[in-house]
Amino acid sequence: MGTENPNHANNYSRPPQNNNSPFSSSRPVVGSQASAFRPTPVLSTPPSGPEVSTFRPTASYVPPTTGPFQRFSSPTPPPHTSPIGQPPAMRPPPTMRPQMPPMHMGSSPLSMNGAVNLQQSQPSLGPTNPSAVRAAPSSAWPGYTATPPAPVSHKGSYGPAPPQPAASGSFSSHQGGYGPAPPQQAASGSFSSHQGGYGPAPPLGMYVGGPTPPAGGMSGLVEDFSSLSIGSVPGSFDAGLDSKVLPRPLDGDVEPSSFAQMYPMNCNSRYLRLTTSAIPNSQSLVSRWHLPLGAVVCPLAEAPEGEEVPVVNFATTGIVRCRRCRTYVNPYVTFTDGGRKWRCNICALLNDVQNDYFAQLDATGRRIDLDQRPELTKGCVEFVAPAEYMVRPPMPPLYFFLIDVSINSVRSGMLEVIAQTIKSCLDKLPGSTRTQIGFITFDSTIHFYNMKSSLTQPQMMVVSDLDDIFVPLPDDLLVNLSESRSVVDAFLDSLPSMFQDNVNVESAFGPALKAAFMVMSQLGGKLLIFQSTLPSLGVGRLRLRGDDIRAYGTDKENALRIPEDPFYKQMAADFTKYQVAVNVYAVSDKYTDIASLGTLAKYTGGQVYYYPSFHAAIHKDKLKHELARDLTRETAWEAVMRIRCGKGVRFTSYHGNFMLRSTDLLALPAVDCDKAYAMQFALEETLLTTQIVYFQVALLHTSSCGERRIRVHTAAASVVADLGEMYRQADTGAIVSLLGRLAIEKSLSYKLEEARNAIQLRIVKALKEYRNLYAVQHRVGTRMIYPDSLKYLLLYALALCKSTALRGGYADSQLDERCAAGFTMMALPVKKMLKLLYPSLLRVDEYLVKSDDFEKLCRRLPLAAQSLDSRGIYIYDDGFRLVVWFGQMVSPDISRNLVGEDFAADFSRVSLVQRENEMSRKLMGIIKKLREADTSYYPLCHLVRQGEQPREGFFLLSNLVEEQVGGMNSYVDWILQIHRQVQQ
Amino acid sequence: MVKLTMIARVTDGLPLAEGLDDGRDVQDAEFYKQQVKALFKNLSRGHNDASRMSVETGPYVFHYIIEGRVCYLTMCDRAYPKKLAFQYLEDLKNEFERGYGNQIETAARPYAFIKFDTFIQRTKKLYQDTRTQRNITKLNDELYEVHQIMTRNVQEVLGVGEKLDQVSQMSSRLTSESRVYADKARDLNRQAFIKKWAPVAIVLGVVILLFWARKKIY
Repeated sequence: MGTENPNHANNYSRPPQNNNSPFSSSRPVVGSQASAFRPTPVLSTPPSGPEVSTFRPTASYVPPTTGPFQRFSSPTPPPHTSPIGQPPAMRPPPTMRPQMPPMHMGSSPLSMNGAVNLQQSQPSLGPTNPSAVRAAPSSAWPGYTATPPAPVSHKGSYGPAPPQPAASGSFSSHQGGYGPAPPQQAASGSFSSHQGGYGPAPPLGMYVGGPTPPAGGMSGLVEDFSSLSIGSVPGSFDAGLDSKVLPRPLDGDVEPSSFAQMYPMNCNSRYLRLTTSAIPNSQSLVSRWHLPLGAVVCPLAEAPEGEEVPVVNFATTGIVRCRRCRTYVNPYVTFTDGGRKWRCNICALLNDVQNDYFAQLDATGRRIDLDQRPELTKGCVEFVAPAEYMVRPPMPPLYFFLIDVSINSVRSGMLEVIAQTIKSCLDKLPGSTRTQIGFITFDSTIHFYNMKSSLTQPQMMVVSDLDDIFVPLPDDLLVNLSESRSVVDAFLDSLPSMFQDNVNVESAFGPALKAAFMVMSQLGGKLLIFQSTLPSLGVGRLRLRGDDIRAYGTDKENALRIPEDPFYKQMAADFTKYQVAVNVYAVSDKYTDIASLGTLAKYTGGQVYYYPSFHAAIHKDKLKHELARDLTRETAWEAVMRIRCGKGVRFTSYHGNFMLRSTDLLALPAVDCDKAYAMQFALEETLLTTQIVYFQVALLHTSSCGERRIRVHTAAASVVADLGEMYRQADTGAIVSLLGRLAIEKSLSYKLEEARNAIQLRIVKALKEYRNLYAVQHRVGTRMIYPDSLKYLLLYALALCKSTALRGGYADSQLDERCAAGFTMMALPVKKMLKLLYPSLLRVDEYLVKSDDFEKLCRRLPLAAQSLDSRGIYIYDDGFRLVVWFGQMVSPDISRNLVGEDFAADFSRVSLVQRENEMSRKLMGIIKKLREADTSYYPLCHLVRQGEQPREGFFLLSNLVEEQVGGMNSYVDWILQIHRQVQQ
Repeated sequence: MVKLTMIARVTDGLPLAEGLDDGRDVQDAEFYKQQVKALFKNLSRGHNDASRMSVETGPYVFHYIIEGRVCYLTMCDRAYPKKLAFQYLEDLKNEFERGYGNQIETAARPYAFIKFDTFIQRTKKLYQDTRTQRNITKLNDELYEVHQIMTRNVQEVLGVGEKLDQVSQMSSRLTSESRVYADKARDLNRQAFIKKWAPVAIVLGVVILLFWARKKIY
């Protein structure tokens, strides 16, 4: 027990949040019941990883404990974990030291709290090293070093608990209940008696099941206790459902850590996340899982300083791959026969080791040169590709701009902004001296620019024949940037003034696109399209169709979200074939048919940026930042990606922005760190015989410096035969990401309503299945139970249904915005997606006025109207925009300090700038920090005052996902609804 | 007109650089690139060691020079003056050696000097038009002699390796066939022997049988 103490002490000493009276009232009840339990508080403390911050009771009490446990109860003990733990019987309260006899599967996870903690803090703990584990305890948690190691005694650990009213919700009831109960109380009761105790208590009590039942007849129940359960009594108890205790991801994305610990050689989770790291071993198990089974891959995710991907050059050897399944050599291959052969971990074929790759094996069967071979120790490496991996010499980075210069883009100021931005980025474009660049502008005609290096001014050529488009010059439309730098500069300087007085309202987008294709098709590269009106001339012209309110709610509704003209899909296919990636920047206050334009980006691995009612004065910074990021971020060119997996498992579908070249090869003309791809897999055989399934993602690409490389991510996951295990090892982030993509794809061919229902249905089915697992053994009664790993799933699913892409109907979001959000969400990495679904809400006024405690500021609030106090100032941040909300009763002084003399004026015209006072500096500091936390998009800052309609509704209220918005349920209702459906 | 430009290391045929957007107006650019690669492979086996050579292929000609273990190769129209083509290669060679001369041996990955493509691109443009004043002067310049440069056909060049293969194939076929022949001859011998002596043996047998039968009867 002693091992947990530091943890506990710390948790309990968190700043008090609020004392929940209903729960404390239940104290005696629970207390009387406490004898039935082992010292439960252990459970309510998460063996928190570093992510679990220390100030939010709800979050920190939510025990991620289950994660690590499953490992122990896993029927297939993985090679790298030592089954260390304390069996329940070995845990008489006075025994303070954790005893760690080998533990077999099925024993209660909870009993292993101590061991688990250790395991987390020392992921690389060798399998045969229990003594080390034992030695580690007090220093094991870096995060908790501030607290002196608590005395190794029960008193020490639980002492602080009872008087501590810090916990909100049922946790306090827990503490209250168990705190006073002397830890020595032998656990002799049963789980159901515990329930009984809770029965009269608050209906929706989130509590962690008791720890290991004592040696008695409880061993069969051991499994359940690892699950966090939530009790909600429908019907008469509705009123008692306290929304405060519902689980909320206020710490952002908490990744399950068990996976990485179990297989320390796996690639980092930022590259690959499985929806569950326990792979089902049979078809029947798959059919009972109900949630998507798959992975989310972000092959080029930005690695933090010091964790760069090692580069391996095999040079003469050639890349070592399996003869049969073409798997790249990875840490999980095994060398046999004195090092002369290696066994492929994916297809189990015995391959010969080439002479130049040979190395002796030492006594333990490891290669003696292991430490010089990153490909055999790291789950993520980059190989230098030999000539066989090239169909042509590595292409140079190429940027081509297709710019709309019709009246709209001039008036809105877009033209000027992009000309400036491109000019300022010219020095930072990747590729040094090889980078190629070119421009085409268009309105009702198409303008080409000759940028030959010997010229001083670019020559403009106008082509007005839109039916039979041709390229007026063979060369010099696409030029080497370093050679023609002065011409390009001159062009960008004069571009805004050239079209200053343009009154042309037409847009020959289709023909211009074709022209760009002709120029680019030799080399490929990145095509950036700036469009400000609906394409109106020539091939690919579109008509106004988004205003058709009658289409909503009918079967034709989805047709609005798919391209009307096959031209766009055809062009996208051609672009991919010639390695062109398209990014669409749409700025318009009117309907531009993003559904059609976005198709270009969707099938070419690009991105859609949409700026509704763009005005340079307001949106300038956003466009500037995002365009600059697009131009300067590290990009991989002419890439293809394939994911391989072990025998018996097969990838069936892929979701994201790309084109499928063959059944399993993703063509990605350009790929960068902000793009993620999701895929689902299925079992090929009815029964998996292997113990472990391996996944390998290989991305063959050309880096900007002109090297052909193969980035390989390898991960292993164990196969389980138990559904409970699958649920325990589930990864909410990956599941939500995949669910979201599926729903968005569904919304392209069905009604929005159906897409939302599909999400709900899957969740209901999954929870029902989970309930059935335990309902038989225990009287779960009317409580709602779900695995701890999925405790946020309900909320995220609700947020998904309320996201811009899927929410409501016609009136709830504009068609263009909806489509743009859909395209964006299809490409977002997991963390960004979760942030978008459940944005952070921070209260800043206290920080501004007095305290300098930035830590305290970072406390995220639930996204409910209750969180908003009319005396406060809040910042809402979803990664794409920031909303600063001023309560009605904020003192005018503060407002004046922050927004100057305009504080009483209409906020839609006020922008936030730094002013000469401490408060304003602080606020700008916060905003800057929030922006720097993630640079992939630039969150534009909007000011909103309470009660200022319709802006408040648009910017903030409609995004409070826990509230009842646009015909969607509030969080509490949603839980009740799901619960009711689960029980049916 | 210069169509393709490729630079490779002779020792192992590793490509070092290639012109940008090469083969834009060539019909079967891929086919010719394959031929060039086969040519490089041949060179790395040491089949052709003439340091300057022109190789005809279809409507085009490959011109190459080998200097300092690097092969500079370009593909031009047949009508394109040989003199200019070799001048072009000389230019490339000078610049390449100046820039990367000391790194050639250590290059470990294909297209290690792909950055050179911008220079190739630039130089190519200078040589594109044979009628510019600059190129005409070069053509008339007697200093640079190209007459001795051998011209061969690509089939011939690539064929050298093929023919060797054929010879070894034939000889191996010869060995196996002669072994078969020997076997058959031995078989025939045995048959002839049987044919020769079988009647005699039968007659003898009959006589002995008769003798034996007579003894039994009497």
